[in-house]
Amino acid sequence: MSSTSRARLGEEVWKLRTDKINAELVTLTYGSVVAQLCKDLDGDYAEVNKQLDKMGYNIGLRLIEDFLAKSNMQQKCANFRDTADVVSKVGFKMFLNITPTIANWSSDSKQFSLLFDENPLADFVELPDDGKAQSELWYSNMLCGVIRGALEMVQMSVDAHFVSDVLRGNDTTEMRISLIRYIEDEMPQDDE
Amino acid sequence: MAKKEQASCSSTANLQPTLSQPHPSAASAAPASPQARFRYLATMVVYAVLILNKAGGLIYQRDFNPGLQKLSSNDYLILAGTFHGVHAITSQISPTNDSASSGLEVLESENFVMRCFQTLTGTKFLVFAEPRQPNLDVVVRRVYELYADYVMKNPFYQIEMPIRSEGFDRHLTSYIKPHQ
Amino acid sequence: MNRDPSPFRTASTASTATSPTPKYANLTASTNLRYSLTRKSIYDRHLNRTKTSELSKSAFAFLFGEMVQYAQKKVYGVQDLEKKLNLHGYAVGQRFLELLLWRDGRTAKRETRILGILQFISHQLYRAIFQKQADTLEKVRENDDEYMISDNDPVVNTYISVPKEMSQLNCGAFIAGIIEAVLDGHCFPAKVTAHTAPNEMWPGRTVFLIKFEPEVLEREALRVGS
Repeated sequence: MSSTSRARLGEEVWKLRTDKINAELVTLTYGSVVAQLCKDLDGDYAEVNKQLDKMGYNIGLRLIEDFLAKSNMQQKCANFRDTADVVSKVGFKMFLNITPTIANWSSDSKQFSLLFDENPLADFVELPDDGKAQSELWYSNMLCGVIRGALEMVQMSVDAHFVSDVLRGNDTTEMRISLIRYIEDEMPQDDE
Repeated sequence: MAKKEQASCSSTANLQPTLSQPHPSAASAAPASPQARFRYLATMVVYAVLILNKAGGLIYQRDFNPGLQKLSSNDYLILAGTFHGVHAITSQISPTNDSASSGLEVLESENFVMRCFQTLTGTKFLVFAEPRQPNLDVVVRRVYELYADYVMKNPFYQIEMPIRSEGFDRHLTSYIKPHQ
Repeated sequence: MNRDPSPFRTASTASTATSPTPKYANLTASTNLRYSLTRKSIYDRHLNRTKTSELSKSAFAFLFGEMVQYAQKKVYGVQDLEKKLNLHGYAVGQRFLELLLWRDGRTAKRETRILGILQFISHQLYRAIFQKQADTLEKVRENDDEYMISDNDPVVNTYISVPKEMSQLNCGAFIAGIIEAVLDGHCFPAKVTAHTAPNEMWPGRTVFLIKFEPEVLEREALRVGS
């Protein structure tokens, strides 16, 4: 399917088939989760990143069903470029009402970046001024886990991580997604 | 007697009869309008709903008709496991050259029709109904949506495990029962 | 600009919020934070930008569900879990209150009576967060210090089915925390708890029981007396 028809599908699902909620409630709740982790893990931001990714992964395993049920997608993506379109234009659109820009494809079409012009999770956020959060914490890391978990359920093993974040003072917020392999064997996954 | 067929993509409007439409009056004349859909469902008799996890384990089973023959839980497990195997075979061996076969989707007998829908994640939804029921694909998709809402979004549900969710039971009943 | 609702800022340190612009750097002399040149920091964006924004209810449900699951790993029983959810709600409530009052601008009113603050919660606050009013607001007849706000279908519970062995649990404890924060913010300290109180039509109906601290009633008595 073409990129434009994916975009149309995303718009349609968002407009017609998505129950909405106040965005600030989601933003502040996410903030509370991250702040709690920072407290629980005593400011060990590497651990916080890991935990956020893990929580996102758990969400991804479940969210994929909602994604498929609401988008009515019954065919696998034609290729990884199509997958990128679907993640950005249907997935992000229907859950967070944004469509991150797809950019920086590797020559083998196995890696791309998502550029977040908007990031509803990070509205209102300023990282702690403790000299390390800005170089160690990936505030929105849960999103990486969600993508990893969701794609794994449709037989794609991927790596997803942030490479820059405006919260760190970077000019962009960029997530890098790489296809590791297509999973042949459909074994059930553990709910971590 | 089993028959295989290509998954049919239903339009969005078909799947959610409750969604408000831009022009309800104009839509009511069209055959695929929510109102028309509702008439279909109004005469529908659904016998049972089964859900199978990726490994073919039965994670949900519910009868909607008191007159049904009672199967033991062991029978249900055998039924689920057997169907899982048959489905796997039918999706790999196909008379056509189509490599991406959806596998067994409809099973008809004199007394019932069964519709199977396998999601891209490998979960299977089985709906048993009166013979010659049209639009079972719509029913099975709606059951999938309810599953996404009331099973997947319930933090107390563990993935791949048997479904014990009061919310899912309740919404499934209120979707299927009024149409019987 | 010390009204930023950043999750890392606790309410008590509001006045120490740092300024981004070099112009003021000497005055506060405390920030080492870097800011994007693309002007996307919280100081560059209007606080009302997201006032009417919407996200999917599913996104919230998954986030909330994962929050519940994470909290559940570290607790000993239902009460402890509710306490954790209450604290999450409290953090959200503190920030929502600031947003609401800031947005009211000059028309913002400081509530000084019990009934006033409870109406503020069940009307304005509820509408701002949940796009609806709370369903009822009542006084508990037997106890002078107790009030009840009810919600027929709390948004946080829509997709949740509590297992039988935890039947006492109501994840509405999160909303109870929001209410508690707003009461605290108005100097009406109270304990707020969520209780499942289903009826025929609303199987998920929840009552938030508000129990005020004694000093609140004392103050109220003085005001009524005068």
